[in-house]
Amino acid sequence: MSNHSATTVSTAAATDQAASSPVNQPGRVSASEPLFGGGGLLGTIYILTFVLVALLVVIPLVALVYGSLRSAAPGMPGEWTLANWAALASPGIVGTFATTIGIGIASSLISAMIGTALAIIVHRTDFRGGSTVTALVSLSFFLPSFILAMAWIIIGSPGGLINGVLEDVLGLEGWKVDAYTVTGIIFVMALHQIPFVFLIMCGPIIGMDASYEEAARASGASPYAVLRRITLPLLSYSLTSSLVLSFILSIEQFAIPALMGIPGHVPVLATQLYLLVRFPPPDYGLAASIGLTLSALTGVALWLQRRIARNNRLTVTTGKAGRLVSIPLGRWRWAANALCWGYLALALIFPIVILAYVSVIKYFNANPIEAAYTLRNYVFLYESGATLHSFWNTLIVSGLGALTGVVLASFISYFTLRQRPPAYHALDFTANLPFGVPGVVLGLGLLWAYAYIPLPIYGTLVILVIAFITRFLSYATETIGGRLVQIDKSLEEAAWTAGATRIQGIRRVLVPLALPSLRGAYFLLFMAFFREIASAVLLYTASSNVLSTSIWSFFEQANWGLASSLSLTSMVAVLAFMYLLMRLARVRPMRRYMTDPNADNAVKQ
Amino acid sequence: MGISVTRLVKIYGSTTIVHGISFSVADGEFVTLLGPSGCGKTTTLRCIAGLERTNGGVIEIDGKVVSDAEHDIFVASHERNLGMVFQSYAIWPHMSVAANVAFPLEVRGIRDTREAVAWALDVVGLAALAQRQPSELSGGQQQRVALARAIVGRPKVLLFDEPLSNLDARLRDRTRAEISRIQKELSIPAVYVTHDQAEALSMSDRVIVMDLGRIIEEGKPRDLYRRPASRFTADFIGAANFLSLVYREQAWFAPDGSAVRLANPEPGVAGETRVAVLRSEIMEIRARDKAIGQDNHNALHGTVKGLQYMGPHIEYSIDISGVPLNALSNEEFEVGAAVLVTFRPQDIHLLPRSETPQSPSP
Repeated sequence: MSNHSATTVSTAAATDQAASSPVNQPGRVSASEPLFGGGGLLGTIYILTFVLVALLVVIPLVALVYGSLRSAAPGMPGEWTLANWAALASPGIVGTFATTIGIGIASSLISAMIGTALAIIVHRTDFRGGSTVTALVSLSFFLPSFILAMAWIIIGSPGGLINGVLEDVLGLEGWKVDAYTVTGIIFVMALHQIPFVFLIMCGPIIGMDASYEEAARASGASPYAVLRRITLPLLSYSLTSSLVLSFILSIEQFAIPALMGIPGHVPVLATQLYLLVRFPPPDYGLAASIGLTLSALTGVALWLQRRIARNNRLTVTTGKAGRLVSIPLGRWRWAANALCWGYLALALIFPIVILAYVSVIKYFNANPIEAAYTLRNYVFLYESGATLHSFWNTLIVSGLGALTGVVLASFISYFTLRQRPPAYHALDFTANLPFGVPGVVLGLGLLWAYAYIPLPIYGTLVILVIAFITRFLSYATETIGGRLVQIDKSLEEAAWTAGATRIQGIRRVLVPLALPSLRGAYFLLFMAFFREIASAVLLYTASSNVLSTSIWSFFEQANWGLASSLSLTSMVAVLAFMYLLMRLARVRPMRRYMTDPNADNAVKQ
Repeated sequence: MGISVTRLVKIYGSTTIVHGISFSVADGEFVTLLGPSGCGKTTTLRCIAGLERTNGGVIEIDGKVVSDAEHDIFVASHERNLGMVFQSYAIWPHMSVAANVAFPLEVRGIRDTREAVAWALDVVGLAALAQRQPSELSGGQQQRVALARAIVGRPKVLLFDEPLSNLDARLRDRTRAEISRIQKELSIPAVYVTHDQAEALSMSDRVIVMDLGRIIEEGKPRDLYRRPASRFTADFIGAANFLSLVYREQAWFAPDGSAVRLANPEPGVAGETRVAVLRSEIMEIRARDKAIGQDNHNALHGTVKGLQYMGPHIEYSIDISGVPLNALSNEEFEVGAAVLVTFRPQDIHLLPRSETPQSPSP
């Protein structure tokens, strides 16, 4: 891996020289010639980008491989060994493996079914209130998984709300609910992933070529028959693709199985790894081999998903947006309402109400009439220096870290999609690689790596920023790249023939046109960094606490009140901050351009 | 000084797109590269624009070498002093009309652009729309913004990449005349790429016909139309019929045995077969029974096999002793009618000997 990247970097350097002194070499010249017409600057940026991405991605992965072959903890003298890999075959680990895959399959099946159903109801039927549902589902997309898990622990744990109501209020002794189980984990995971499937499925559902359905209707099919015989089969590729993505998300999910599975003794690979590192006696080597196995699993699933998605291009034709006819719900309207609002109640409304309730009571009480109310949690947060500190840390990590990530992702997208210099495929591959590496595994890799690399960044915000950027870089490149491919190449070429240099062309034409996607990528990274816990959990210390890790440690100390109040406060603060930022960033002429529906056609041409 | 292209070669991967073509464009001349898609005409234009690197040959603009692969010379697009109109217009959607037109001046460091922008917009007749956004313009107006942007910097060369292909037919005719007028007024050498023969014939001083990365032939529009040197040109420009003529008894004979008289008689070898081009739009069709006593020259005997009603005329397909012939007429005939197809000596053109297929046709 490292070897491979090292060679590609050197070829990039070699061809940059070749570009500045062009030789007649048939076959080496690509469609996007000339290379680096803007002098050496673009070439230098390309090499720097490549080296930076390679370092970000390669260092933790190499460290993991190294760690999995060592007998001692990071930084300690040890010997080469295969024992860590042999230990994978122990019955305990094999069982964990099975549990992980089982939970993954169950939760991804549920979320794919419900998420797709929601998307079809909202976009393809005469359902009323579709835009409200879309907005709320998108909001629940940003609800961090650990906050959702906390809320459901408060609701469903043995000492939680439901049991309290059953025992104290209704006096039922025999009835018990336990969230600390496989079922509980699958339930919360499904709730967490449904918005993800929903958002992925909306695109193909809205963008489907209307003529397929029109042809079916003209052949005499009823609306329901069109849905069953035409629409769903056409969506099957997207559906399979989102099923696999959802599976990946659930097997790499850390917060939910950690909060719910550790107390209930339901280990999955991600939490097993965490326990091996965090609790004595630590076994870093075994953790590394588990982490690599988990990455291999997500890697294979991701490869599968990419293959499906590539085939998908043949079937779903987005293009001329014809009028898609709504399916009348008729007497099934109540079911559609129940599904949409029921989901939102369980995934968003109920958890937030519970968190708000828990944040203002003195001691946990299932009966809100008898509870003793207090604002002491909020007062504590306000007066505590540590909390304020973690607010600032989050602002730095999410605010500046996301900015750095967007800049890096813009360079990557520009080079891989526009410029296509030598070895751009390798850059693309490397930048996307961490998408298949679970967060907690990445954290472990960095833990290993910076035990050896003489940079004093362990336990600082810098290592958190490195972890987050590495982990979420592909989110930003996807967002920016999706826009870049829509901007017709001739818009840039017109600038060059009009006398603009490469750099002027980028600054005056490409950046203004890609601006919406740059903003979108920033928003996405900011939220991802804010809600990230998996890769931070092995890397944070008291001085580098961010909001997510602060909430996490309050909850670990069983302080539900403080965890709830900080969750609510930080979500409100982050949303307010993002809103302000979006307002500030809205440049005048762009708004005019953005709101004009025809303007977009001009870009795509 | 114009443009000179010498032995230009362009290779993509393992495919050679342009095979060492040479041509030049004199000062103020309007030259069109005409050919089917994939013939290398757009690639050639993009090489002149500096949007593609060449793999061989030399390109000079205004006496200065801008591309020379053998000697490592490559002048970037922005230093070539071009004006280019793209097929997609490439009007920047985030800039107003005036800002689009001012751009070439601004990037060259010219501060006061107002006068030049006003002049360019005036030339294309868009002075009133300077403050509009591109999304508020029609296709034809966007096209003219692109033209204004191309001329505003008084470039050394104007390049057009199929600029009219996205316009509807009526607008295309009008803009065609507009582009010709502006180019002649400014007297800037222009290279125009199109696959539309009407555009090529109506606008150009000279047309270069290309196919498969090579120049087939070049010439003035009316020469190419009336006296093409190749079967490809005859077929690509206008609607052509190909007749195999046989030379015997000091004269050329059509497949039906009738004698053909040529404007520029070219003697052949006895028994020799040559291909002649006969334009379907300049023939006359008459019912055979009404044409008794006619001179037997340049009159083909045929039968109407099919017809298509086109509005201004009817397109007949006529069988001349087993050879199909297309002819336009506004006279009405039934299918099966016996007709006489006549044409003037100057409307039939004998192709060079090299253009005759090796195996003689019946």
